[in-house]
Amino acid sequence: MAAEREPVIGIDLGTTNSVVATVQSGTPVVIRGRSGSNLLPSVVALSKTGKMLVGQIAKRQAITNPTDTVYASKRLIGRKFSAAQTQDALKGLPYTLEVGDHDDIRVKLGDKAYSLPELSAMVLRELKLDAEAHFGRPVKKAIITVPAYFNDGQRQATKDAGRIAGLEVLRIINEPTAAALAYGFGKNVNGKIAVFDLGGGTFDISVMEIGNGVFDVIATGGDTFLGGEDFDNTVINWLAADFQREHNIQLKADRMALQRLKDAAEKAKIELSTAKETQINLPFISTPQGGGSALHLQKTLSREKLEELTAELVARTITHCEQVLTEAKVKPVDLREMILVGGMTRMPRVQEAVKQYFRRDPCKGVHPDEVVALGAAVQAEALTNEAADVVLLDVTPQSLGVAIAGGYVRRLIPKNTTVPTSVTEVFNTSRDNQTTVKIMVLQGEADVAHQNELLGEFILTGLRLAKRGEVEVDVTFEINSEGLVSVSARDKETGQQQSIQVTASGGLTQDELKRILDEQADLMLEARVEEEVKAKRVELKALMNEVSELMPQLQKATQGSEFGQDALAKAKQALETAKVASEATELKRVTDSIDTLTRTVSLFKGVLQRIGH
Amino acid sequence: MAAEEQVELEESRKQEILALDAKVATANHFEFLGVPAGASPDEVRSAFREASRKFHPDKFYGKNLGSFRQRLDRIFKRLVEANQTLTDLEKRDAYLAANPFIRAAARAVSGSNPAYKPEPKTETEEARDLERRNRLARHPYLARATKLQEFVSRAKAHVEKQEYSQAFTNLNNAAQIDPNNAEVKALLIDVRKRADLSRSESSYAHAMEALNRGDTDLAMQALRTAVNANPLNHKAAAKAASLFEKSGDSREATGFAQKAVEAAPTNVEYRVLLARLLEASGMKALAKKHFEEASRLNPDHPEVKKHGKKLWPF
Repeated sequence: MAAEREPVIGIDLGTTNSVVATVQSGTPVVIRGRSGSNLLPSVVALSKTGKMLVGQIAKRQAITNPTDTVYASKRLIGRKFSAAQTQDALKGLPYTLEVGDHDDIRVKLGDKAYSLPELSAMVLRELKLDAEAHFGRPVKKAIITVPAYFNDGQRQATKDAGRIAGLEVLRIINEPTAAALAYGFGKNVNGKIAVFDLGGGTFDISVMEIGNGVFDVIATGGDTFLGGEDFDNTVINWLAADFQREHNIQLKADRMALQRLKDAAEKAKIELSTAKETQINLPFISTPQGGGSALHLQKTLSREKLEELTAELVARTITHCEQVLTEAKVKPVDLREMILVGGMTRMPRVQEAVKQYFRRDPCKGVHPDEVVALGAAVQAEALTNEAADVVLLDVTPQSLGVAIAGGYVRRLIPKNTTVPTSVTEVFNTSRDNQTTVKIMVLQGEADVAHQNELLGEFILTGLRLAKRGEVEVDVTFEINSEGLVSVSARDKETGQQQSIQVTASGGLTQDELKRILDEQADLMLEARVEEEVKAKRVELKALMNEVSELMPQLQKATQGSEFGQDALAKAKQALETAKVASEATELKRVTDSIDTLTRTVSLFKGVLQRIGH
Repeated sequence: MAAEEQVELEESRKQEILALDAKVATANHFEFLGVPAGASPDEVRSAFREASRKFHPDKFYGKNLGSFRQRLDRIFKRLVEANQTLTDLEKRDAYLAANPFIRAAARAVSGSNPAYKPEPKTETEEARDLERRNRLARHPYLARATKLQEFVSRAKAHVEKQEYSQAFTNLNNAAQIDPNNAEVKALLIDVRKRADLSRSESSYAHAMEALNRGDTDLAMQALRTAVNANPLNHKAAAKAASLFEKSGDSREATGFAQKAVEAAPTNVEYRVLLARLLEASGMKALAKKHFEEASRLNPDHPEVKKHGKKLWPF
């Protein structure tokens, strides 16, 4: 029966790499890509010939095509163009960013500007195709993970990406929570654990308690601009600064050179996780402007030096750990297990720092690159399969509040509140005969309104005329299981209702999303599957004919014998089923019928041969 | 009705949901989680987890639940709220302070532990307690309770200074915050009575003053107010009766005299006054009854004697 169920997948949409997984006969497994690798680089590129490339091939051509290759797009998704972090990121990126219609970010590839959800959708579509190749039928339902510290806008944008890729996103879940699910699934684990997730672009730390299949997140925190990319950047800066001192040439200004530096830095960093020392060789990295022979970059980077360069980054992760453990009211000794997630946790210095702070060896049983996708698959299974005895009690990573007079914030839902949750707050008019109330919804921990993320603002209009303070409006703020926020308002007196979906002001609007979805009618794959079904149907009909022809012969041969009657009855039944199946559109039913009939035919032939016809 | 709805739920689960949903508005946080009042944060948390296994909306993902979907949402949100409130020490204190009945119940439970004796508090602890109380008072949960207490204490201060109308206003505000507060209700009744009494007295004084000035009309009006505010103010009633008698309005006079007698049945003067008025308006039998009562109370009263002779039939 289990195989009959529609396949569901879990996707870890990472900053540098993405993974897709599913649960097969009760075990979460990673789906290997068609290229043979478990990891798909989260890289999208527009080749010189105008083709869109995704994954490994996009990554491979990055050096020769730096301006049209987009990597680490997850760091920008759901952000506003004017945000400080975007402006910072802008300086180090070889590809071109443009500002969209509502302060959102667009990436210029060739002569077209792409929104970030569209770019992420290309990676997701690739993973979807991998999964379809694995199952041999269309895959529609998926769970996608995001860093726990993603805000509403970033979550919404990720969900949009899923929709653009033709996926029904069952749920957006948090990466550390997914890691814990994968860790605790199928084991009888009871106790508190911490998940330390240092990925390509983001850092998350979560403390949760597992018991009886309930995964209860106690506290979560992190930084969406702290990850492997930042470690690479320190190395790039070190190399570039050195080169400038020597030759007085700004390597970072040259996009091609920057891309080569980036590749070399990442490679060196990875090598130093196992080696003590590594060589960085970049021949012909630059040519001096006044002519002269080309310059080469040749450096030795030792593990000590790398640790020195990145000491501040490692310290920041520990600061976050301290904060989250305090919020969870948990001491390191209370923890039963410590799980490391993300490729960056392979760095020995990171492991040491974690070991020192948590005073224990991290859990060895999980694969840092795959565990998140596996967890997402577990949750997908839990949602769609009743038998799975798993409940996930996740929390909202950031406080939700509204701006109040004086530019301050009134916090309505504090961080680390279990979701789904809602709170109703009464708002009064502050002037006589005030007919509108504006409510600004904010997410973040700062006391000053403008330092928080503005999720959106909405205006209640058509309030009745009355003295100040007399009109009372009930405003309900709701955070659903995915960490997405919605707001509804109701005039207490008149019962007039207004509902507002807080759409992140920097993301795609509903209209835009619809347009993108229409544009790229994603029917190609379904058409392909249909063709396969058609071919199989022909095969099935041929088999049906063969069985029908054999039946009279067999009847003659086995006249009256009990065995013959039984076999004939079964064959008739198989034919009936096949007749229905031959009209079916599902590949599975057709192939099943083919299998049965093939067996019948070989049985008949065997019997006839023995009897001697 | 809801119980018969066709949804993808087992009958027993349906009943559980209906039962718990009915409790959303009525039960306190402890009751809702199904733990004894005053259960520790750890007990609360584990009860919450157990409840989540049954009622987390994810457990029913993608199922056709009809109206049960909303019920489940309600239940789970309430569970979250209860858990959040009772596991955070500050919120828990605030919640218990705002709901003294739960606190009392919690005490009754924990009170069964005779070994527990609170240590005497040091000065810094006291100071810290005060600081905490002040901080809690600003907490939204407590703000209501604090506000209520403020109104009540202000009202009491006004009562002491005999400023009943101000006291009354404050109590009315308090009653608006919590209409079921027994203390406020009792105070309201008390203050209303006292306010009436004091109004009656002051009207009486006012009337006397007016009378001294010779303003009989005003005096009569004030006396009427005094009697209305406090029907037991016999002085005012008697005074009014005699004033009306003098002005010739015997009907009004009789009414006031009647009130005076009712307020002070043992006062001979009032009886006599009433009897006289009744007699004058021709109600002999009633008059006789009151004269007899007066003579029983004080046979030596000169007027009684006089009338006694007159009425004596033999």
